[in-house]
Formats: sequence, C-alpha cells, structure tokens
Amino acid sequence: MSQFVLNVNGRRQSVETEPDTPLLYVLRDDLQLNGAKFGCGLGQCGSCTVLLDGAAVVSCLVPVSSIGTRAVKTIEGLGSAERPGRLQQAFIAEQAAQCGYCIAGMIMRAEELLSKFPTPSDAQIRSHMALNLCRCGTHMRILRAIRRAAGMPAVSA
Amino acid sequence: VLTLLLLLLLLLALLAASWRPAIAARTEAAPQAFDPALVQRGAKLTTLALCANCHSATPAAPMAGGFPIQTPFGTVYSTNITPDVDTGIGGWTEAAFARAMTHGVSRDGHHLYPAFPYDHYTRMAPGDIQAIYAYVMTRDPLHAPAHANELRFPFGFRPLLAGWKLLFLDHTPVAPDASKDASWNRGAYIAQAMGHCAACHSPRQAFGQVDTTHYLGGGEAEGWYVPALNGRSPSPIAWTTDTLTEYLRSGIAPNHAIAGGPMQAVTSSLGEADPADVHALAGYIVSQMGKPDPAIEQRALAAAAKPASLPSADAGDSQLVLGQHVYADTCARCHDMGRAIGSGGALQLPAAIALYDPDPRSLIHIVRDGIAPRDGEAGRTMPAFATILTNDQVTALAAYLRRYGAGQPAWPDLAAAVQKAKATP
Repeated sequence: MSQFVLNVNGRRQSVETEPDTPLLYVLRDDLQLNGAKFGCGLGQCGSCTVLLDGAAVVSCLVPVSSIGTRAVKTIEGLGSAERPGRLQQAFIAEQAAQCGYCIAGMIMRAEELLSKFPTPSDAQIRSHMALNLCRCGTHMRILRAIRRAAGMPAVSA
Repeated sequence: VLTLLLLLLLLLALLAASWRPAIAARTEAAPQAFDPALVQRGAKLTTLALCANCHSATPAAPMAGGFPIQTPFGTVYSTNITPDVDTGIGGWTEAAFARAMTHGVSRDGHHLYPAFPYDHYTRMAPGDIQAIYAYVMTRDPLHAPAHANELRFPFGFRPLLAGWKLLFLDHTPVAPDASKDASWNRGAYIAQAMGHCAACHSPRQAFGQVDTTHYLGGGEAEGWYVPALNGRSPSPIAWTTDTLTEYLRSGIAPNHAIAGGPMQAVTSSLGEADPADVHALAGYIVSQMGKPDPAIEQRALAAAAKPASLPSADAGDSQLVLGQHVYADTCARCHDMGRAIGSGGALQLPAAIALYDPDPRSLIHIVRDGIAPRDGEAGRTMPAFATILTNDQVTALAAYLRRYGAGQPAWPDLAAAVQKAKATP
C-alpha cells in the first residue's frame, strides 16, 4: 500500500492503495465519486471517462501511480443536481439518457470536445464521440445535446 | 541572353520529352460486359495488389479515392477509380488502364505520382492487369472528384515525373528462378509485381525511389518503422511459412505481435485473397528473412511458453526504475500472466517485434495510439495510452522495455521521438 495525493475536481484528496489500482476504483471506492461507471474494464466502452489535465481518459486503465499532480475532473466537477453545468443541462433538456449508464462518460468526452472545438461540426462530434458506446441507442439525442451545449442550432445547415 | 535561351530550349526539350498522348475515351454509354470468371479473378488479384488500401478512404465509398498519402514531397490524394465517367475512370479503355498501371500515365496524358505504386506494377503480367480492369470497371460508379494534392515546390510540376520514370522504372518481368518451386516463384511475383511489399518494407532514396540495393531492408510508412523482411528482420522469433500465412490472412499469429498501423489494411486485404496465393507470398518472404539470433529467439520463446514478469530495473537508473513502475502498474495486467482481468490475453513483450526495431517509432505509436480493428472488422485491441501516460512516462517505459524486454542497447534520441509523436498526431 502506498499513499497518493490527488487533485480531484479542484480538491486535494489523499488515498492509500496499491499503485496499480485504477483511478476508477479510487474515485468510486475511496472518494465516493460514483458518476464514472465500470463498463468493460478494458478501455473499450468509455463509461468511465474522466478528464486528466483536460484530456479525456478511460479511468479504468489509469493506474493511480501515473497521475502525479495532473488535475482529475469527473462529472461531479461539472455541476450538481441543483446547479447542473452546461452539458448536463443540455443532456437533460434533450432527455439524452435512457438507462444513463454511459452518460457520465459521454458528457466528459463531450467536455473535452467543446474545450478543443467550441462549435464543432457534426463530423467532428461523431468522430470524437465514437470512442464512447451507448447500448440504448440514444446517439441522436446525445448529438443534439452536444450541439445545444455548444449553442448551435438544432439542425445543421 | 544566351543562358536564358538555353534554359528555354532545355525546358522545351523537357516538355517535349515528357509529353504523352491522351488515349481517346470510351464512347459507349453502357457498362462493359466482362466474362464473370475474369471479373472474379480480378477481384482476387485486386486484393493482392492492395488497390483498396489507398483508393478507399472510407468503407462507405469503395475505390472512390480521397485517401491522403504523406510523402517527403507533400501529400498526394488517391483518386477515384470507380467506373464513374465524370470523376472516375469510366471513360478509360483497357489500353489506357494498362498504360496507367505500367507507365504511370493518366488517360488524358498527364503523369501520375509514384505514390501510386506503378514502379512495381510495371512488372505485372498483362493478363492480370486485364482481370483487374474487368473487376474495377464492374464496381458501382461513385461521383467523387479528385482532391487537390498538396506538394512542395517544384514537385507539383508533373513533367518532372518523366525524368523520374526514365531513371527508376523497371519493366523487366519478375524472372522465374528454376531452382525454386512454382509456389515460391508465384510468391516472388506477388511480392514484387502485385503486393509491392518493397514500397514500405525497403528504404527509399533522395528522389523517393525504392533503394533496390537494400531490398526489403526496412522502411517507413505513415510515421511507423516498417520492419525489414530480409536478413535484417528484427523479429525475435523466426517466422515460418505457416505462421506468416496466418498472420497475413488475419493479422494475428501465435507468438507474434498483431498487425498494427498501415499493415492492418494489408492483412485485411490479403484475408480476402486466394489462400494459396497468400501461402506462396509467405513462403517467398520467409525465404528472404534470415534467422534471429538464437539467444534472443530462445529467450522470447521461453517467455511466450511460460510467462514470467520482466526483470527489475537497475536501481541506480531513475528513468529505468520509472519505466519498470509504469510497466508494472499499466501494462502488466494484460501483458504478464497471473495478474488481474484480461491477463494472458496479450503478447509477452519479449516476443514483441517493436522492441527490437532499430528505432522506437512503432513502439511509441502502439503505446500512444493503441491498436484498434479497422471500421467494421473484428480483431484484438490494445488501448491507447496517449492521454493516460505523460511523455516522460512513455519515454521511461520504452527505455525499460527495450532494455529488459528485449535486452537490446538503448535507442538514441528516444525522448525526442516521443516528443515528436506527441506533436504530430
């Protein structure tokens, strides 16, 4: 067991765990941040997506030992139920969740997209979001929610 | 004035020498009829010649072109070779097609860039070109105008290509070797005239021509090191005709790394080819490779047979120690047997060819970008670690794997190569 000091959603957090523990387990088991979900554990579904210094990562593959001083941001860092962030608001407005399991990851992936491209093209949205899977099939609503969060018209010209 | 006049004369002479006539377009509006057997043969040959690898930018628009090919001279975009009359080759006669394949000249007479590997197709048998023509001309016509190339001055000036061709085109057919069997000779023909293996697996010289004195001596493609297939093959474990056939047809063979980078498209194309042809190709390639160093091979085979953790790094070297930790915490769960979920599924790294390459480019690509099956295809995956690991961590990991996975001397300029990979996604 080793001690790791992490910067999560702007707060300094100290955890004691094995160095190869995935960040996802630390978030859920040690820090009670349950937004990120365990989907496949193999980095193939995206439901555990969080940001590391602004870059989207699948947290099931991030060993806690590799994080260092890099800032971790989870969906809890974007807003709360009372004060949802802009992507969260847009996902609610478009009712983009069905079962909801993938949505925290989807929103974090979209957060990275909008930080790089504030008004992305449909092609950019599709290729950027392709790494995250949704089994309910709400993709069209997810695309609409991202366009809404970016302040873009509902249907592309 | 005299110099100017001379220059002008030279230019005129160059233009005259580079001039090629247009070949009249087909005039019949109806699609051509071909013997179905010929079309079928052409389909198989097209997979050996790897036409779709560059001519299909997306699976949704087969053979419609638009795929960017990076060269040291700029970017060349593949063109539409569907039988669309306006934007494809619908107006091309068989003679025009054969001239393009063997002389790199478009139907209208302009010179084509050798990103289109006509410097290999020159050696293709006329009957094979005819079959490929029959196949291509019976595909769905798609409207897709050519994307303008982005070439540095003066390479956008196509008449220069006449000189290039004069120097570098080889029209000698692949000579049969009477001391070898028919399958080997078939493989030699496929490798040299059709599959153009040397286009990526050989080094290139100043004018972009294949260095024939280092045939299959290792090259590069899309920023990857492309392994040598001759006596300098870096593979730690010897290929056999059977394992290489399996690899070429599926991208996966026991005790060898899965296909990655530009090779993925090659193995998916060869997966559609006639299995006997792929077997012949594998036999020929294996005959070109030397044997690995027995000590290296024994070590790699032992690791593959009975997985064991990699050794601890020398405690005095902080970079190697960091690399060992990155490996243990990030990679070992899949690459070392006996760890958490997914263990045993991934290659034991002493058997991984990328660790033995003369430079670290391919290993860096694999770590940063992972390996994902192509769109619509099944296959093994390796996740991408570009956003998970920092540059320092990737550098330390590569240094550790090189030293303790492969037991090879350190790569020079490793940190710079990692930096460069990050800068050019």
